Amino acid sequence: MLELILQALYSGLLAGGYYAMIALGLALVFGTMRIINLAHGELVLLAAYVAFEMERSFGWTPLASIPVALVVVGLTALVIYLLIGRIRQDRELNSLILTFGIAIVLTNLILMIWSADIRSTSNSWFMDGVVLGDTLFSMRGEVIFCVIGVLLLAATYWWLNHTWQGRALRAVASNRDAAKLMGVNPARIEALSFLVSGVLATFAGVAVYTASVVFPAVGHNLTIKAFVITVLAGMGSVPGVLLGAVLIGVGETLTTTLAKPSLQELTGMVIFLLILFLRPSGLFGRKGMVKK
Amino acid sequence: MMKRFTSAVLSKRRALLACCAVGAVMMASPAMAAEFVLGSELPLTGKLARVGTGMSEGIAIAIDLANAKYAGQHHFSVQTIDDETNPAKAVAAVEKLASDHVVAITGGYGSNIIGPASEAAAKAGLVYMTSGGVAPELTQRGLDSFFRINNADGYGKAMVGLIETMGAKSVAILYSNKEATAAMATYVQKALTDKGIKITSHEFDDTTTDFKPIMNKVKLQDRPEVVAMIGYENDYIGILRAGAVLKPDVKAMVGVWSLATAQMNKEFHDQVQGVYGTSPLPYPVVFKGGEAQDFAAAYMNKYNREPDYLQQFGYVQTMLLIDAIARAHDNDGKIEAGEIARELRATTTPTMIGDVTFDKNGDNPNFTHRMGQHQGDRVELVWPANAATAKMNYPAVPW
Amino acid sequence: MKHRMVVLVALVLAYGAVPLLLGSMDYVMSLIIAALTIGGVALAWALLGNLGGLVSFGHAAFFGVGAYTSAILVVDHHWPVLLAMVAGGVGAAVASVATMPALRLRGPYFALAILAYGHIFRILAVEATSLTGGAAGMLSIPGFPTLLGINLASKTGAYALILTIVLLFAWLYGLIRRSTYGLALRAMHDSELATRVVGVPSTHLKAAMLVISAFMTGVVGAFNAHQINFLDPEYAFASSWTVLPIAAAIFGGYRTVWGPVLGALVVFLVDQLVFKELMPSGHQLVFGVLLGGMVILGPHGLLPLLGRWSKKEASHAGA
Repeated sequence: MLELILQALYSGLLAGGYYAMIALGLALVFGTMRIINLAHGELVLLAAYVAFEMERSFGWTPLASIPVALVVVGLTALVIYLLIGRIRQDRELNSLILTFGIAIVLTNLILMIWSADIRSTSNSWFMDGVVLGDTLFSMRGEVIFCVIGVLLLAATYWWLNHTWQGRALRAVASNRDAAKLMGVNPARIEALSFLVSGVLATFAGVAVYTASVVFPAVGHNLTIKAFVITVLAGMGSVPGVLLGAVLIGVGETLTTTLAKPSLQELTGMVIFLLILFLRPSGLFGRKGMVKK
Repeated sequence: MMKRFTSAVLSKRRALLACCAVGAVMMASPAMAAEFVLGSELPLTGKLARVGTGMSEGIAIAIDLANAKYAGQHHFSVQTIDDETNPAKAVAAVEKLASDHVVAITGGYGSNIIGPASEAAAKAGLVYMTSGGVAPELTQRGLDSFFRINNADGYGKAMVGLIETMGAKSVAILYSNKEATAAMATYVQKALTDKGIKITSHEFDDTTTDFKPIMNKVKLQDRPEVVAMIGYENDYIGILRAGAVLKPDVKAMVGVWSLATAQMNKEFHDQVQGVYGTSPLPYPVVFKGGEAQDFAAAYMNKYNREPDYLQQFGYVQTMLLIDAIARAHDNDGKIEAGEIARELRATTTPTMIGDVTFDKNGDNPNFTHRMGQHQGDRVELVWPANAATAKMNYPAVPW
Repeated sequence: MKHRMVVLVALVLAYGAVPLLLGSMDYVMSLIIAALTIGGVALAWALLGNLGGLVSFGHAAFFGVGAYTSAILVVDHHWPVLLAMVAGGVGAAVASVATMPALRLRGPYFALAILAYGHIFRILAVEATSLTGGAAGMLSIPGFPTLLGINLASKTGAYALILTIVLLFAWLYGLIRRSTYGLALRAMHDSELATRVVGVPSTHLKAAMLVISAFMTGVVGAFNAHQINFLDPEYAFASSWTVLPIAAAIFGGYRTVWGPVLGALVVFLVDQLVFKELMPSGHQLVFGVLLGGMVILGPHGLLPLLGRWSKKEASHAGA
């Protein structure tokens, strides 16, 4: 039994690193613009399909396709940003509809271009087992992308706290008008946050393609998972995203091990609601979800 | 064009079924030759887009080959509407096809979508032929216009039969909690328990991507001889990858649909070696029968890849329907209400998936699936013995 | 006076002309029924959004609970269908009480909390096999009865039924909106603090709106179950029961009573009858573009847009 629980914890931790990568881009845009990008999962998926196309057409390893995916997904993210910029009224609500529309367009484009077949890397190097102390098992791809995920989180955290742009971004997040007075161009900063969100989505997408399986309908599931983690984290908090992601990851694997695998989504949702009700500002939120 | 329009207007005043046939017939020349438009309602988008697309390709091949077969006598075409994996839209699609006077309907995926769609077809007096719904309830509704060439029992019997042949004493069942998979798991669990085999089972959700915690339970607690997987491609790949990492001490990995296919063999070659799944034909097709080879050649020619069971079933169901339409028409130059259904029920037809007969509920009691095994670059049929193309490799796992 | 005439003409058209002209085209009627089903949920959603100031991402939760409640009562306990549909609404209203802890959450957090409830209800429906039939769902759920000589199970009958349901809900919505509560609620939407200062217990009012909205959604969910005659957890709690109504409501103008219904009819019918005809498998793409375009070009929705046009016309005519 102990062996089972240890493995569950280990799998959950690895999943956490990878979930965090999916969620961080959404959390960042939500933090700066109060916009929930319902097409975020589709951006992740788009990166996964770029990796697939590169592997199918040129035999590239998924890691090598990251630069190409960066360009494609980054540009798509910018287009989404520009479209959101056209919204004149009630941005919080209307952006939902707009990004929902974009999500539909992206899903259907992916379906038309790459069909509904399931795709995943055929590069077996990523699937080789990595065994720690004879009891903890994982695939090499999972470990690699968990590490990349944590590094990206650390880099984003550092960027937000130690660079001018990062600070400007946080300034826009906390008070758009005040930031403007301080000489920050909010539009440019918001575009930047979308671009960074696209970068994070790219890595997440390649990770999904490598460690898991993709098909057009997956985008929606990814968006929901990213949502849940974003809210758990509290307003745009980077450490919160990591902790929230690990909590969900470990919660899911422990449910599988101790109870029934089919209840793992329930566990995620219950954790989500509990945190929402008990700590309404999220794990790391300063202020936020409850009405003043 | 003009003629077709007139026929449609005229036929509006007649009984609905008669008009479908007559509308189609009147377009043709006064001789015996006739033009038939089949209707097809399928998911081409949404969750079932992949399987729906597969079936529609099979239907397209059936139309092509039927036009070659009946060249100079009849001409067939198909009008397809995407049901978007949505029952309400499937019903509307069937009604639209009925209003366009199709002669019968071939298509449908997912028992829960086929249910309401086939009821709409029955109301419009149209035969509804499918291979996409295996739930037992579908043929317990007393619809005499509903037909299917496969059913849950056939899949279950094959899986159970194979495991019995292996002589396994303990089996762990991993199944997705979707409609078809849950029903199949219940069937297999009961059948294996009745044979005195020790069963453990694990139900998972379709959002599951990491199967290691489940596989670890199988490895450390269940310790079965065989793992039975009842899910879809993404589940199989997840389970097999988890298996490859954890290397549980099992003798065989057995799945159902969507697993022993050419595509899985090509795209996930190393991960599926030695794995079993249901498969109507081996890959590459080595059947002696001319039809299977014609079908495979036509498919390769049109889509430039190997056909899978989806296309094979789509082809078989449509060909049966087309032959019944032709017979119904040819005996007196017109098609009466219920005649296609009667023709379908009256005839036993040898097909690529074995002899097909329909009972009064439209089920095909002959249907037993075959089990294939990935062996190198091939998918060999290994069960039942009379259909086998190679010896089963047992024990064999991909890792 | 003029307003009354418009309503009367609309009613005559809806109950008379539509079935007479289109009644023989089963598939068009099916699409209109489906559009009105979405319209009913859109109306309920907009009521919560407009009067309660709460944006929900989880109305599928209430839709599914209503559908299951009604179906189970009819199949297992042999209730008459129409009564069971009302009970479906009550079931959804009861379920909404379980979601009330979410009321103190702000904006998007409330939206997401309700979404989580939707997922939880769906999983419970899968797991409670003995009650709901589990993942396999329920096939052959009894359809509508014949009432006052009208066979409600026919296309025209089902159309009349859902039309009546939607009209009743719209009437109720209008009533609440015009009442003092409605005034207080709309004031709250603008400034909650101000309302609280004048002594309106905002949370109670919001809770009431949530219950009413859930009830309406539940009844529509029950209608759909008996119309399609089957249910499974994935279908009953499908996210499309949330997103399509939201899209329809915003498209039509969610601050108005009729906007959501009109939006549903336009969005669904144009998508199914026009776009699908033009591009059979890529039409959802057009639908996505349409949604996005609407938000950018006409953010108040279709109805206010039409209103502005007609005003412009009128002023031109007057000049």
